Amino acid sequence: MRQAFPYLLLPTLWAARNRARRREQGDGLRAALFGGLGLVVTLAIFAIVFWVTWQLLDYEELGEYLIRLGLSWLFLTFLSFLAFSAIVTALSTFFLSEDLRLVLAAPIPPERLFYGRYVRTAALASWMVAAFLLPVLLGLALARCAPASFYGWAVLTVLPFVLIPVSLGSLVTLGLVNVFPARRARDVLMLVGLLFAVSLILLLRVLRPERLLDVETLPDVTAFFATLQSPVTPLLPSFWAGEAVFEALHGRVDALHLGALWTTALASMVVARSCFGRYYFTGWSKAQEARKARFSRLHFLERLARLLPVGPAARGLLLKDVKVFLRDTTQWSQLLLLLALGLVYLYNFKALDLTRLLWLGPLVKNFYAFLNLALAAFVLSAVAVRFVFPAVSIEGPAFWIVRSAPVSLRAFLWSKFWTGFWPLLVLTEALALTANRFLGVSPELQLVTAVAVALMTLALVGLAAGLGAQYPRFQAENVTQVAGSYGGVVFMVVAVFFILVVTGLVAWPAATYLWHDYHRLPIPRSRQAWMAACGLAATALSLATFWLPMRRGVAALERLGR
Amino acid sequence: MIQVEQLSKLYGSFKAVDDVSLQVPNGEIHGFLGPNGAGKTTTIRMIAGLLKPSAGRVLIDGHDLAREPEAAKLALGFIPDRPYLYEKLTAEEFLRFHGGLYGLDGADVERRSDEMLQLFDLRGWRAELIESFSHGMKQRLVMCAAFLHRPRAVLVDEPMVGLDPRGALLIKQVFREMSRAGVAILMSTHTLEVAEEMCDTISIIQGGRIIARGSVDELRAAAGSADGALTPVFLKLTGGHGLREIEDAP
Repeated sequence: MRQAFPYLLLPTLWAARNRARRREQGDGLRAALFGGLGLVVTLAIFAIVFWVTWQLLDYEELGEYLIRLGLSWLFLTFLSFLAFSAIVTALSTFFLSEDLRLVLAAPIPPERLFYGRYVRTAALASWMVAAFLLPVLLGLALARCAPASFYGWAVLTVLPFVLIPVSLGSLVTLGLVNVFPARRARDVLMLVGLLFAVSLILLLRVLRPERLLDVETLPDVTAFFATLQSPVTPLLPSFWAGEAVFEALHGRVDALHLGALWTTALASMVVARSCFGRYYFTGWSKAQEARKARFSRLHFLERLARLLPVGPAARGLLLKDVKVFLRDTTQWSQLLLLLALGLVYLYNFKALDLTRLLWLGPLVKNFYAFLNLALAAFVLSAVAVRFVFPAVSIEGPAFWIVRSAPVSLRAFLWSKFWTGFWPLLVLTEALALTANRFLGVSPELQLVTAVAVALMTLALVGLAAGLGAQYPRFQAENVTQVAGSYGGVVFMVVAVFFILVVTGLVAWPAATYLWHDYHRLPIPRSRQAWMAACGLAATALSLATFWLPMRRGVAALERLGR
Repeated sequence: MIQVEQLSKLYGSFKAVDDVSLQVPNGEIHGFLGPNGAGKTTTIRMIAGLLKPSAGRVLIDGHDLAREPEAAKLALGFIPDRPYLYEKLTAEEFLRFHGGLYGLDGADVERRSDEMLQLFDLRGWRAELIESFSHGMKQRLVMCAAFLHRPRAVLVDEPMVGLDPRGALLIKQVFREMSRAGVAILMSTHTLEVAEEMCDTISIIQGGRIIARGSVDELRAAAGSADGALTPVFLKLTGGHGLREIEDAP
């Protein structure tokens, strides 16, 4: 190969151009939805940073100190995120990517291959950080009326800051792959990553930033900042980046820290290139080894499945789905994240101090109970789009086995439905009821919530399974791709509307009942009729949301072969 | 010329390829046969530079693959059994990119791509995305790519899989012409008729070791089989008694 290493990035660019030229169904909707969402988030981040920085202007020295500390923390968080993200991305780009079989068979000099993959790793691992940093730095700069040179220095700071963890992450991956086979290394990394994410979420929650809003705990604020300051060390690139950006805000050039950033970035890249030159091919060869089946001796699953009142075909499908799920690290490890989010969710309700709003207590409590219902349903829909919606698609190219077997597609889809329904029902009921218990809502309202959650689970799991069958993506490389497809977006849009409407339909009669009960007033007959109508409408809407997509899903599967 | 010297590959304690040596002179079509799991694909992947051998060495056109990987790979055209193709590229974009990897560019790559697409009957599909191609068309496109840089040696893993009779005939003709032009071709295949019809020499691998080598007639003699077909010879040499019992069953 005569060309420089960027030549190796051409297929990605050409593929992106071709994808833009030849749009598929739903691409516009998806782009509008995700683009709109991204824009809203970006504007929100910008507005918050701008407002906070603006407010801090009033506090002179303390404000300066807080901005400096905030920048250090921001870059420290990004540094840890980037390091982990680079390890996972490097594993994929350097060792597991499908196109490596084509590229490695070609006469490409090792250093060009390294740089080609390195750039790809850096881009994939850091785009999210860059997207987040843009509104943050912009908000900071505009609020502080930073000079024009700030933007140039910011770019010159962020670039080496990103490259350092990418080099180190790639080196860690190289070491790991030379010790473990790559596919097992991916499992190890997935677990480490999730534990990292879980501990980060729990740590953020345990710090209890809401304390800052509580005037009574003002003396604690000093202790809070002391806690924040401890891990910011001058030896980390995050500190150098924070300092360089802070100085640039004031129109000054922090040559020392910028120099430290650039020399470290270039040195780490040179070290990485040299190590890859020496150990890459050995690691790649190890990555070709197959891995062993996990849980191959879990006979209790079979015994448990035999107890279920279902036919052999449904039992077979269920067992296959459970085993595939347990063996796919990318799938089951998400449960850890889910568990952490569930704990944080419940902790938030436990941390709510409603005693401070004494006279408003019952009203706020009921409001939170319905907020809890809607939020639990949102969690349910997020889980359903990740686990239930792709259930048909993950059959992938092996779907012919089901289609050629003497199993009706109706039975197949129903099996997928039940496999998703029971775990999600338990999860959502547990979330909603435990949160309600923490809130201390009345037993009547708890009952209403329990029934509403059951109906919503039925509807949303049916909607996910049905739409998953109507918009299958058998060629998708992973579940995330399926969840983000046109059908997945349609599911989320319908699910959000459904949750809002059903919550409204349940909330109004329940609130009316509680209001009359609180004031010890009888409920007029006409209002009673309206309340019953709302309850019926919620039930009918849930049943329709469950039944119609399931029916259409079966029909769509049956049409596949025609 | 493709020269393989005492090649071995260990996966943990399992020896997938054990001391395999091969020599494919210029102009020869060498068949590489063996039952499933015998070590064919592992050997092929080592020769293609996709897998590091535990021992032994590979020379392509006189270049040691371990010491001069770029020169060795430049002399080789590789057609894998399950090729990777960029699905979102068109056929001509793919060939242009592939040509660049092998040092072709500008008008040279355009002209050569055009010739190859014409030869493999894909000219009408040049601007179509690869994802819309059938399996046979993808296989033909991979062959276009493999021959694009005029290799001195060709390594093929299962060339006929997914090809219709017309495509298979075309491939056979192309291989014969390339062999006449002095290209060394090492071809792994399960299709014994193809091996019988096309190969000058055949090596049979089993349990990671070469157990027989020679022309079709020499293999027949080694197996003590007088009749014409290669299948009974192959079964006898590789110990496929169970299969023969199935074939002989009333």
